[in-house]
Amino acid sequence: MDTRTLPTLPGVILKLNELSESNRASVQEMARIVTSDQALSARILRLANSPSYGFYRVSTISNAMILLGVNVVKSLALSSSFFEIMENDSVGLWEHSLGVGAAANLIAGKLKLPESEEIATAGLLHDIGKVVISLKCRDAESRIRSAVREKQLFSREAEQEMLDTDHAEVGAWLAKCWFLPDKLSEPIAFHHDVSRAMNHRVKTAVVHLADVLIKASGFGNGGDCLVPLIQQEAWDLLRLTDQQLAELVDELEDKLIEVKCFSQEMQA
Amino acid sequence: MLVTTDASLATHAQVRLLSKGYLVVCITRSDEVLNTVYDDPPDMMVVDLSTGNDGSAEMIASLRGDSFFSAIPIIGLVKPCDAGAFEWENCPLDDFIQLPLDYNELFCRISLALFRIKRIFDNNPLTRLPGNTSIQRAIEESMGKPLAVCYLDINCFKPYNDVYGFGRGDEVIRMLGRIIFNAVRESGGGFCGHVGGDDFVAIVPMERAEVVCQTVIAYFDRIVLDLFDEETKARGYYNGINRKGAMDQIPLLSVSIGVVPTDSPHLRHAAKVAEVAADLKAQAKDSKKSCYIMDRRRG
Repeated sequence: MDTRTLPTLPGVILKLNELSESNRASVQEMARIVTSDQALSARILRLANSPSYGFYRVSTISNAMILLGVNVVKSLALSSSFFEIMENDSVGLWEHSLGVGAAANLIAGKLKLPESEEIATAGLLHDIGKVVISLKCRDAESRIRSAVREKQLFSREAEQEMLDTDHAEVGAWLAKCWFLPDKLSEPIAFHHDVSRAMNHRVKTAVVHLADVLIKASGFGNGGDCLVPLIQQEAWDLLRLTDQQLAELVDELEDKLIEVKCFSQEMQA
Repeated sequence: MLVTTDASLATHAQVRLLSKGYLVVCITRSDEVLNTVYDDPPDMMVVDLSTGNDGSAEMIASLRGDSFFSAIPIIGLVKPCDAGAFEWENCPLDDFIQLPLDYNELFCRISLALFRIKRIFDNNPLTRLPGNTSIQRAIEESMGKPLAVCYLDINCFKPYNDVYGFGRGDEVIRMLGRIIFNAVRESGGGFCGHVGGDDFVAIVPMERAEVVCQTVIAYFDRIVLDLFDEETKARGYYNGINRKGAMDQIPLLSVSIGVVPTDSPHLRHAAKVAEVAADLKAQAKDSKKSCYIMDRRRG
């Protein structure tokens, strides 16, 4: 199965194309666009961590871009396939991923955690398994969607019912195949089950919390109708005070307005 | 150098190659080949393998066995019936052409082989960047032009290598190589070479030298943060053996750059450029952080 070309939103490719034609595309500008797309981000990290370059543990987009260079990133982006936007689900998932990345970054900042950029990247990539499922199991995907709606299931439960696996497992498999560092693969694998994380429990807890907050805010569409509970394990790890949480919800609201504008710019 | 026992092929090929401006040495006995090569290594060899057992394959294998001569491109001439069943592993050629000779094809393949060797001749296996011979040539070619030669290396690299292992040390060198290469290319192009170890050279137009140095430093300092754990970063040092062989607090990795314009009148020779750049780089090392120093002397 070839997952090397996970589809990317057309708007993202077009924007990168515009940037690259200006010939003075800076790494920062390109990183801003790339980090809006979970599929493209994952592919760039895959390349930066592939054995042929001989780097290990590259876990942020900006570092991957520094090492790969603008040219490599450009051609990778331009070789992307587009999401066929038959319905707005792919945009919903894309916005959900973008929102979780932003929320994870806010939480990491609020708690003054080290490696907030890595945490944001893990947030952006946490549902990459869903991209693979929608790409490879089209029929099952529509059955999963109706099950989520009709039986009031979480998408994970419906995925297990139809496929015997779920997006977290698929995402973890992809992260392994793509040599992504543990910092990223653990939150992808365990963002619904924080207690199973091994070396990066705090990062996993942040992504879990970000996922729940974004689902609760109604931003984007992660494929669930219900908002999952925040796991006790995550509370215990992060120890957010009530005041921090209140501030966080406020700041997130402002941030999501920004993210929404960016998203519309990408879809223009 | 052309090696064949076929006299008419020898005469004919020699004339055709001469007409293209190549100097041709023609050898008709395979036992003389090695001596001639050791005596005066050719830029490339064309070896006739159609006559079978005349020791040509052994001759090629023994050339390939000596790394000093293994870079000489060798094109084999083979009979069409042999090509399919050829034991390439025992006869390590770079390329082959089927007899009867099509001279246009021969010229194209010779040009290609020469360009290829020029491109990858002394590439460093770790970074795949051009090595010393190419660097020398690039510096010589830039003399008198409004360019700048930048010498770069990593501060406190050896203790890092000792403490974290050479696998991690190699990774840092590969990273710096890639950072310099990208900085040069994204600034608009130039030359980027790997002297060896943690020493690199970049050559860019003078007006872009500072931007390239700033970019390399900014990128390297960012990447370095990925190479140490949180406690070490917070402390700002780790324990290792310093130059004097004593246990010491070793600062995090940083990069030093010496920059020398190639059109300043007091630098008439490429060797002098290297010397001045190395001096400047040593001065840059006095700062414990990443920095670059430009040669401001004029006249």
